[in-house]
Amino acid sequence: MTTTDAWRDAFKEAGALAVTRPDPKKSGLALSAHMPAASLAPAAEKLKAEGFTLLFITTADFSEGFLVTYVFDSFTEHRRMALRVLVKDKSKPELPSIAHVYQGAEWHERESYDFYGVVFTGNPNLVPILLPGDDRIPPPHLKAPDAIASIRTLGFLGEPEWAVDGWELAPEPPKAAAPPAPKAEASGKPPEAGAAGKAAEAKPADGGKEEGK
Amino acid sequence: MELSNISVTGLIVLIVACLLVIALMVVNAIVMVYAERKGAGFIQRRPGPYEVGPWGILQPVVDSMKLLGKQIFVPSNVDFFLFFAAPVLAFFPVLILFLPIPFGPVLTALKVPDGIVLILAFAGFGLLANLLAGYASNNKYGILGAGRAVSQGVAYEIPMILALLAVVFQTGSMNLSEIAEAQGRWPWSWNIACQPLAFFIYLVTLVAETNRAPFDLPEGESELTAGFHTEYSGMGFALFFLAEYANMLLVSFVCATFFLGGYKGPFLDGFWWTFIKAYAVMCFIVWIRWTFPRVRFDQLLNINWKWLLPLSILNLWVTAVVLKIVGP
Amino acid sequence: MSNFSFLNPFGVLDEPGTYMGDFYSHNFAKKAAPGNVILNLGPQHPSTHGVLRVLTELYGEFVMRAEPVLGYLHRSHEKMAEHKTAYGFLPNMGRVDYLNAIGWNWAYTAACEQLAGIVVPERAEYLRVISAELNRISSHLVWWGAFVLDLGAFTPILYAFDDREDLCDILQRVTGSRLTMNYFRFGGVGEDGDERFFSLIREFIPRMRERLKMYKGLVTDNVILRRRLEGIGPMDADMCLRYGATGPILRAAGVGHDVRKSVPYGIYDRFDFEIPSYKDCDNFGRYWVRMEEIEQSMRIVEQAVEQIPQGKRIMDKAPKPAWKIPAGESVFSVEGARGEISVHVISDGGKSPYRVKLRAPGFSNLSLFAEASRGTILADAIAILGSLDLVIPEIDR
Repeated sequence: MTTTDAWRDAFKEAGALAVTRPDPKKSGLALSAHMPAASLAPAAEKLKAEGFTLLFITTADFSEGFLVTYVFDSFTEHRRMALRVLVKDKSKPELPSIAHVYQGAEWHERESYDFYGVVFTGNPNLVPILLPGDDRIPPPHLKAPDAIASIRTLGFLGEPEWAVDGWELAPEPPKAAAPPAPKAEASGKPPEAGAAGKAAEAKPADGGKEEGK
Repeated sequence: MELSNISVTGLIVLIVACLLVIALMVVNAIVMVYAERKGAGFIQRRPGPYEVGPWGILQPVVDSMKLLGKQIFVPSNVDFFLFFAAPVLAFFPVLILFLPIPFGPVLTALKVPDGIVLILAFAGFGLLANLLAGYASNNKYGILGAGRAVSQGVAYEIPMILALLAVVFQTGSMNLSEIAEAQGRWPWSWNIACQPLAFFIYLVTLVAETNRAPFDLPEGESELTAGFHTEYSGMGFALFFLAEYANMLLVSFVCATFFLGGYKGPFLDGFWWTFIKAYAVMCFIVWIRWTFPRVRFDQLLNINWKWLLPLSILNLWVTAVVLKIVGP
Repeated sequence: MSNFSFLNPFGVLDEPGTYMGDFYSHNFAKKAAPGNVILNLGPQHPSTHGVLRVLTELYGEFVMRAEPVLGYLHRSHEKMAEHKTAYGFLPNMGRVDYLNAIGWNWAYTAACEQLAGIVVPERAEYLRVISAELNRISSHLVWWGAFVLDLGAFTPILYAFDDREDLCDILQRVTGSRLTMNYFRFGGVGEDGDERFFSLIREFIPRMRERLKMYKGLVTDNVILRRRLEGIGPMDADMCLRYGATGPILRAAGVGHDVRKSVPYGIYDRFDFEIPSYKDCDNFGRYWVRMEEIEQSMRIVEQAVEQIPQGKRIMDKAPKPAWKIPAGESVFSVEGARGEISVHVISDGGKSPYRVKLRAPGFSNLSLFAEASRGTILADAIAILGSLDLVIPEIDR
């Protein structure tokens, strides 16, 4: 496939929930597709068939859940694309493994397992890779409650070019200026971001919206 | 040889010779340790030992004192007797191997009619010692190293014997003194001139039999830590190294006697020529150690079975044919 | 006779037939075939480049299965990033891979600059290129020396370190350190190069070319080395794709992909240089590609030293130490000595970055090893490990 548009359509077909097109000059990514867990393997197979390699898998801890990002690039097309999955249940995070498609994913998934505790079902050797194997410590990269942020508030995923209705990670619409929020509640204090400021007001609202999903 | 034939003088000569040979082996080790390290430094653009004593000449002495003082570790589950027997077995039989060597026209410890057979037969003890060391260490690196040492040693003995046999055919005797005597004063009358292929084959097998680079896989440092002598520290390790240098000296002496004219030289025949030639061969061995990478194990065996063995048989056959035609 | 079983921390009794070991050994031994020997190479070992442990299952001399065990040098750089300021994390980048510090410097600095839209002045771009390429040469020299040391040649490593002395001196003039360099700043570089810096480079290049000729004659064309490397350890383009291997491994497999040419960053598009690639994907291919890359890097440095304009070494109103990365996400790749280094930064606009992911090329390259070494002789497996050019600190971060 030679155009980003063609890839967008391909991801839509594979079952993406949303496709965003970040500014390549600022973010280095040409396309970012948000997938449900079940569509990961078919999308990975499509990418492999077109000659894309898996550069890395990274996980980040947000208030909505763990955002697992798979970044792919091709040696011929030079179009860096990201697949993202949101793992909502932080107490028992699980995702299907793509190690049967990309054997290199085995180690990257083990690293996410180490740092965040995400269990990749189907990974042939899910034991700790960077942390000690026998002396299990709790996942060290989890954010402290006062430092955690929300994807929606940060808005770093950007406006989706296409999304299913009610995509949960759509950035918040800028609200009218609200009085500065009182200090943290359960889901934590949002950081001072560019898009923030209206943050705390929106917090209970989208907390409710998410639970309703 | 009956008991009544042994003369008292013969016995005294033998005992004195043994003591001198032990002294030679020890002094050789000291000199070779220093020469090797300085030579390595020279090749590698660095000074080598220079701290201890003027130009670092006390370095080997200090090293041996250090090794004597080290704690002897015995790993658990080793075969106690074999573990301690192996270094001893590596070092002491080499003493016997020096006895037939003609250092000078009269300076020979034991003039036996089949000197070379004596040497080749007892050289197998070193191999046995390597095997026992690796096996008794209860260490996988050790076993791998021992296995490699045995295959390599057994394989390279055959072209060695055949190359030496060509010279024996030519001289008509297995007595080392006679072989040295049969060569002339000048390099073109040494055996190297009429048996260059045998010399080359012997040079290669000499390096392989003493487990020196590029054939030092049994103690392949980067793969097997230290191969068959991984578990040895202090004196055990020192004995293995003494044995290695003694073996090197021995094969250099054999090379000097068989191919390079022994104690004969352009002027002044004497034992000094043997030493000069043997140490020239030793310098060559040290030189190639620091120059070439290691040969992989199956390639090493390939060299032996596919190249050296056919070549040495061919050499032997040609020698036999030429001798039959030309006469003894 | 000494019996050390009382020291056994796992309480496994010292009985014959019981396999002693730790968690990873037991995990590995679960799938071992009976009769095969499990040999543990490392983590202290004269050959593995750093603290790498490789568990191997041997049938005689043949490696049936191999599994690298990591983590002996894990220093939590990624976690540190979340507690340091953006500027304060720069010195870490010099320590992730100490042999290719400038590459990591560049990846992280450019990821943040890309997000903030910072433009770096010309002279700084040239200084970046010069220091990065000199660093690449120095890294390849260390790899070369260590690789042939693994194969048993004890001398070339000392010659390589002699060449590196000059390089370390040159780079120290401008970065301040010989090894773990912290040279880049947001908006430029840390120090400008003076006249002596450039004259040292101009003296170094012809001397290095002479040395490369000697290395070719003595080492590369040596028949023993050739027989050890040719035909061993094939890693073709499909394998590289499946594992995400990049760098000289990929180029030796015939894929001419180099980030400097494919997605030129900085001012790499102004230089005339080639990307060496090899037709066979064996050990010798990887060896040859890296030796050729030394020559190409010298070409780039020559051109850069000639073309460098006068100017500032950092932009006016450069970010101060308390600078906060604007909110957003950014991925930036550079071509390191080992492959494609990527840094992925997610920022919430606060004092520290929210999440920094450091993609080390060695991590993906090493994951190849389990498949590449299957069925090879132990000596060849060690040679394959050496040809991957691993630096464990970057793999473990």
